[in-house]
Amino acid sequence: MSKMLPDGFEALEYFVERWAVDGTANRDRRRGDSTENERVAFFEAAKGLIPQALELLDRKPLDEFNEREQRLMNMVLSFAHVAMAVEMLGDAEPRHARFREVMRITRSPADA
Amino acid sequence: MNVETPVFTTPDEQVAWLGTDPIPAKAYYDPEWFELERQAIFMRSWIEVGHACELPEPGTWIRRELEFADASILIVRGKDDRIRAFYNACTHRGTQLVEEESGKGANFLCPYHFWNFGDDGRLVAAPDFKRFAPLTKEECSIPKVAVDTCAGLIFVNLDPEPKHTLREYLGEYADRLETLPVAKATTFHEYVYEIDANWKITYDNFQENYHLRHVHGLTGVATVHQQNQYGYPDKYTFNGPHRTQQIWVNPEPLIKPMQGYNLGLVANDCAQQGIMGSPDSRTYFALFPSLFIIGTPMQHFSHKVYPISATKSRGVFRIYWVDDDDSATRRYAREYALCSLRDIHTEDVNIINRAQKGLLSGAIKKIHFMTMEGLCRHLYQQVVARVEDYLEEREAAGETA
Repeated sequence: MSKMLPDGFEALEYFVERWAVDGTANRDRRRGDSTENERVAFFEAAKGLIPQALELLDRKPLDEFNEREQRLMNMVLSFAHVAMAVEMLGDAEPRHARFREVMRITRSPADA
Repeated sequence: MNVETPVFTTPDEQVAWLGTDPIPAKAYYDPEWFELERQAIFMRSWIEVGHACELPEPGTWIRRELEFADASILIVRGKDDRIRAFYNACTHRGTQLVEEESGKGANFLCPYHFWNFGDDGRLVAAPDFKRFAPLTKEECSIPKVAVDTCAGLIFVNLDPEPKHTLREYLGEYADRLETLPVAKATTFHEYVYEIDANWKITYDNFQENYHLRHVHGLTGVATVHQQNQYGYPDKYTFNGPHRTQQIWVNPEPLIKPMQGYNLGLVANDCAQQGIMGSPDSRTYFALFPSLFIIGTPMQHFSHKVYPISATKSRGVFRIYWVDDDDSATRRYAREYALCSLRDIHTEDVNIINRAQKGLLSGAIKKIHFMTMEGLCRHLYQQVVARVEDYLEEREAAGETA
């Protein structure tokens, strides 16, 4: 299988399909649709790689990413959502997700 | 070595002048009282509806729906760079001119009979207009709405002849608002909600900290400390109908590892932009009737509550940012800031729903505000004062309420 992410991020390849999500509101929905096991697995695999990913991605303007870099960027952004669920809410996340649906994201600089 | 944390003193004395009387619960659900509020306050106060960064160049416009007035408003930056506002309605037969939320163009063409209006609301052309004689095009300008800006925020006033300019209305807070990052904002996150709750019940939730440790036990744990177990503010100020609280700084906040890392990225970015440490960086402005803006550069959000009916309102949160996303780190840090704030505010919306439901039966005749809910009391008192003024004006004019 061909690589989906830049070199150095092989540990995250397994999570690409689930977490390389375009659009802030879509990332929020993915968080809401996911299981606790999915969130925890992604959080544990990615948390140590976030500084490294940002260091790599900061080398290029945001609109010049290739496909692999864009997937990595979208995964990093999904991590921002998942970090709230795993680190801050834990067991309370499913109940919280129901309430969150009311609070619709209507604009994000990341979608510009 | 043990470092002693400063002793926190609850600022009860600063709100003692507001009194301790119970508050009539009916003001939070009664349609007749709401109608008085609508006429006395919302139809003639400066209402915040957007930000100048949404109108980046001449010809750009935004549409805003104000349910409390059944009004759709167009806000336009004209060719002369001036911002104007007028109703989104054709002066022929009242048809709404645009359905889009925003756009760019020098003219507004009514889709019904192709009356064409300029960016100042004047009728420019209309097919076969001679058959409307003696009507002239000059008589067919769209009714204007008073509009002005402060700190980049766009306010409208539906009173055809506002009693105060926006600057007069905001008083001494106007200059302070101009020092906040929002005055330089170029972009923002936005999240919105509709809620089955009176606008004051909704708004009050966000101007007292008594609930923090109960409602935000997980997401807001960094706000409480043994010195200040409820995360109360350390100062209040009042300015006419407006008010502020100064956010207390927890000397030993409980921060999770990734939370600390992520918020550290936001802080570094704000520091590099030179927007940290302003005099009002801990000030939470509550601007009458229903706008909040917090000075904290890292979580620089505004929150507007628009009434829809006696028991329904709409809220708009925005997190304002200076300069566009220009790196992966900035984009990531800002997305985390969005998630962090929205998670907290989500918890509020749930409890506000319940606060309203409990009042609807009418069994609860009075509600109670303690000293640290003094800003809620101040809002109620300001509302009552304006309704009384309005009724006096009507009586003086020979109208019945």
